[in-house]
Amino acid sequence: MLATLAQAVINGLLIGGIYALVSIGVTLIFGVVKIVNFAQGEFVMIGMYISFFLASSFGVDPLLSLLISMPALFVVGVLVQHFLIRRVLALGDMPQIFLTFALSLLLMNVALLLFTANYRTVQTAYSELSFHIGPLYFAAAKLIAFVIAMLLSAVLYLFLHGTDIGKAMRAAAQNREVAMLMGINPDRVFCVAVGVALALAGAAGSLLMPFYPAYPLVGQVFVLMAFVAVVLGTLGNITGALIASLMMGVAESLGVQFVGADSGLIVVFVMLLLTLALRPNGLFGGWAR
Amino acid sequence: MKSARFTRSWPWVAALAAAALVLPIVVADPFVLDIFIRVLLFAFIGVAWNLMGGYAKQLSLGHAAYFGLGAYTSTILLIRFGISPWIGILAGGVVAMAASLPIGALCFRLRGPYFAIATIATAQVLMLLFLKFRDFAWGAEGTTLPNLGDAPLMMQFESRAAYYYMALALLALGLAITYLIERSWMGFYLVAVGEDEDAAEAVGVDTTKIKRHIYLISAFLTALAGTFYVEYIYFIDPNTAFSFNVSVEAALVSIVGGIGTLWGPVVGTVLLEATSALLQSWFGSGHGGVQLTVYSLILIAVILWRPNGLIGLFTELYQRFAYAGAGRAKEVPLDG
Repeated sequence: MLATLAQAVINGLLIGGIYALVSIGVTLIFGVVKIVNFAQGEFVMIGMYISFFLASSFGVDPLLSLLISMPALFVVGVLVQHFLIRRVLALGDMPQIFLTFALSLLLMNVALLLFTANYRTVQTAYSELSFHIGPLYFAAAKLIAFVIAMLLSAVLYLFLHGTDIGKAMRAAAQNREVAMLMGINPDRVFCVAVGVALALAGAAGSLLMPFYPAYPLVGQVFVLMAFVAVVLGTLGNITGALIASLMMGVAESLGVQFVGADSGLIVVFVMLLLTLALRPNGLFGGWAR
Repeated sequence: MKSARFTRSWPWVAALAAAALVLPIVVADPFVLDIFIRVLLFAFIGVAWNLMGGYAKQLSLGHAAYFGLGAYTSTILLIRFGISPWIGILAGGVVAMAASLPIGALCFRLRGPYFAIATIATAQVLMLLFLKFRDFAWGAEGTTLPNLGDAPLMMQFESRAAYYYMALALLALGLAITYLIERSWMGFYLVAVGEDEDAAEAVGVDTTKIKRHIYLISAFLTALAGTFYVEYIYFIDPNTAFSFNVSVEAALVSIVGGIGTLWGPVVGTVLLEATSALLQSWFGSGHGGVQLTVYSLILIAVILWRPNGLIGLFTELYQRFAYAGAGRAKEVPLDG
């Protein structure tokens, strides 16, 4: 019983690392640009397909294709910010919500047209590999994904606190007007923020590929999880999103283990609704909208 | 000004209503009639969404919750208790209203995008629950509705025209309610909430109450559409009844047409369904992604270039056309 519980917690933590990459992206865009990116999951999907095609056509290991999917999605992010999001920043809620929502629909359905609904998987040497510590078992691919996800989160932290552009992003997140008065160019900061967020989504995609199938709607799984984690972790709070994502992973895994195989999502949504009812500002939150 | 606009548009509305009434007599092809029924139904769902999403700008992406509750309530009453869907449709509406109270209490704590996300979650939770209710609501397999032949008292008709008129009646009901609300104190309160919730609160609008009330009406109407839909297709399962596509399409048709306008959802549905029918005749129905790809492109285009919807474009063109000859186009205020 205790071993089952511990195993469920471990499985949850490992997948929670991937959720963290997605939700850190969502919360970063929300914090800096004040936009909720409904299409974040679709960029995970694109990252997965990049890794899948690199693996199936050129035999590139999915973990190595991280070096391609991340820069590629950074560029996509800059373009999305410059050509789409920038144009609705001065408008109301409706265009701001439905622009990225429409982008999400578009990417899903274009993927459906191009790649069909078939599940694509990549077999690597470590896909089936696992090792045991006592009664507990660790899947190698998930463990690698978790470790790299945590490393990337740490790099992002250093980037936000150690570099000029990172500090500018935090400044813009705290108070856009004052940041602009201090000479920060908001357009550039916003482009970098969206680029970084999408690069993280791309990384999540590549890291998932050795143990998770790619299909056009796969992003929905991750984006819903990310939204819950972002609310739970307090909007715009990156550390909050990270911790909440790990919690979500564990909650989902416990739900599957103890309530039933199809209850993972119910647990997650109930957590969201409970959060809204009891702590609408999130667990770590002073401010809310 | 409002009444001036009303008298001006009155002959058009009468002509449109007359055309809609005689349409099934002219069009006998059941396939074409089916398209029109879908147009009327989705326009009606759009109208129900628009009351809340358009006027009060509470952008729900979870109206499938009420569509599904309406569908399931009437179907359970019909199959388990033999109660006519005419009663079931009202019962479904009442159940949806009851459900909108706790859902609203939770979701209205959030604004903007997070309200939208919370409403998605509520619809998803309901779908997941109905997937689990095996013994009560048939679980994931769903069920077909008993075919009783020509039984108007049980909301089952041999002729497709009857379904057409029922959908038309629903849309007329939705438009009439919107029209009345638009002209009442409630309409002004709603627009105030939609423009700036804090400001509305500051001038004494009880925003919580007004949002709750419009949510009740919107949920009730959406549930009617749910019952009608399952009675029309004779089948129900959680994925149909709580389909995310219903939530999306309700918002989509309103935005493309013009949110917060009486005719916006109708204009939007006609445009989108016409596009969809054209696409199907070009590509066949095999390509799942084509329709939504085109829908989302239209949506992006509307948001970037016409955030007030296409209805404004039409009124502008109409006024330019109608008043160009008289040479007084400039005098007419453009408040479409």
